[in-house]
Order: sequence, then C-alpha cells, then structure tokens
Amino acid sequence: MHDSKTVETILSRLMPPALSEDGQRGIESMLDELAGVPAVDKRPTSHRHFPFIVGGMAAALAAAVLIFQMTTPPPQVIATVDNFPGFLLVGESDRVESMTDEGWHEEMDGTTMRAMRLSVVEENSLFDEETGIVMQVTEPREELLLMPTSAF
Amino acid sequence: MMESPAIAWKQWLAENGPRLLLFARGWSQNREDAEDLVQEAILRMWHHQADRGQVPPDLPLVFSTIRFCGLNHHRSEKRRRKREESVIYLNDFQDVWLDPLLEEDEEALLMRDAVQRLSQKLREVVIMKFWGGLTFAQISETLAISPNTAASRYRYALEQLAHDLRSKKEVRHA
Repeated sequence: MHDSKTVETILSRLMPPALSEDGQRGIESMLDELAGVPAVDKRPTSHRHFPFIVGGMAAALAAAVLIFQMTTPPPQVIATVDNFPGFLLVGESDRVESMTDEGWHEEMDGTTMRAMRLSVVEENSLFDEETGIVMQVTEPREELLLMPTSAF
Repeated sequence: MMESPAIAWKQWLAENGPRLLLFARGWSQNREDAEDLVQEAILRMWHHQADRGQVPPDLPLVFSTIRFCGLNHHRSEKRRRKREESVIYLNDFQDVWLDPLLEEDEEALLMRDAVQRLSQKLREVVIMKFWGGLTFAQISETLAISPNTAASRYRYALEQLAHDLRSKKEVRHA
C-alpha cells in the first residue's frame, strides 16, 4: 500500500535534469546581450526594426496592412495564398496577448468544460512576387477556449 | 563599478533551470522545445523586470510565463500540423523528464513514468509543489485557481500516483 508520504518519498528520489550545455549557453549568451544593450522593444517576437500598425481590438475583426520591407531575394515561402494570387506567405505568428479564466461551462451533453477567453493577435507576412515587397497583416480577435475537465 | 545584472540572472538560472525545464516539458514535444520555452520565458521576464530593478523574477511568475508561452506554441503547432497533416512525427523514447538519483531504482523509474502519465493539470501542480518548492498559495496564483483547489489537485495526484505505481508493480511481479 502506498500512502501519500510513501509517494513523496519516492518522488524525492527523482530529480529534474539540468538544462543541456547548449541550452544553458544559449540563455546565458542572451542574458549577456540583454545586459549589454538597453531594451527597446518588450516583445520578443516583434519586428523592432520596422514600424507596424495594429488593427482594431476585441471581438471586432480588423486588419491592418503595412509595407515594411523591400526584400530581394524572396524569403523562405511557407505557403501560397489562395485569395491573393501573386502573394506568398513568408511568415506567420499567432500569439496570445491575454488570457482570462471564464470559469466553468456546461455543454449540451452535460460535460463540464473550463472556459478561457483569449485575446489573440494573428500576424501574417505576405511577399508580393511582383514588387518584392513584404507586407505584414495583423488581425486581432477573441477566442473562447473550452478545455475538458474529465481528469479532475 | 556596478555589477552586471546578467551575473545574478545566471546564478538564478543555475539554481532554477532544472525545475523550469521540468515544468516546460509539460508544454513541449521534446527537451529542445522545452529549453526554447524556458529561454523565451526568461527573455520576457528580463523585460518585465526592467522596471523592477532588473533583479531575477519570482518563480511563480516564471511558471505562469512558461504556461503562457507554452499555450502560444501549442496553438501555433496546431496550425502548422493542420497544414502538414501528411508529416509523421517520431517520438524520442529516451527523452525523459526526470532522472532517478540511483540508476537501478525500479520504484523511482515506475514513479517517473506515472508522473509523465498524469493529466496536465495535476502534473503541473505536482511539479510546482514538489520540485518547484512553491506553496499552495503561490500555485493558486500561478494557475488562477483557489489554494484549496491547488491542494486538492496535489492530493488527488498523489493518490493517482500511488494507484498507478501499485498497478504497475502488480503487473511486473505477476
């Protein structure tokens, strides 16, 4: 029979492994760089060298387009864009700006889900094959994420 | 001359890196992704602490940030997979989350597997409590739940671990 104390005793015989040498070195180099250069932009994924426009907020879907870079040769292509012939998708990100716990949510079949409201910003970089210009399309939106709670 | 804040952060990383990595594993496909997640969280923390004397951050906040970054990655990964449905992903079966202190410790090895099999919400409480050294109040702050819920999840996780370990031992020795 294993009681909680026994389980904790066995858990204490397990240790999390250290970061790999590469991982540790990478983070330490980053810290050195950060300490040497004053922080300009607080978001790690932002394109700090280029101005950008952020579209409308909340549930209203809005898109803003900004030409921010002339690129030759074209950057690595992720996919073609069906709705815009002549444009190639060369970069994309979909980041959560904020997250709010909305509590429990009951489905029609009686299952209980945990609801999280997310403010998300989708950014796509499109390469214009004709002009060589890369445009950034920003689209903020809200999502309700329902997570099953059957495990507890 | 003032000491670079990077020195204090490196000391902090040496002390807390393993527990952050362990927590990040719950939000990653493999060890490399988990290390990237830790790095991203530390970068965000660095900027966050800029207005707070650039001192290393409190652990609960870092755990929260890892969760936040992990959620972002999880969503990006889902989108990427949708696009690349034909790609087969292989698992690295040697890629484990915890190391036993003694190599031949069968019970600890079974327990390690049991921890990895816990549901995410139970596992992250166990990791934060046991290896992260957080109090239930700090865990509740990190997960936006009540301290009672955090404590209940911990107890429930221990019960599950005990049950899992018992079952595995019975099968092994049958």
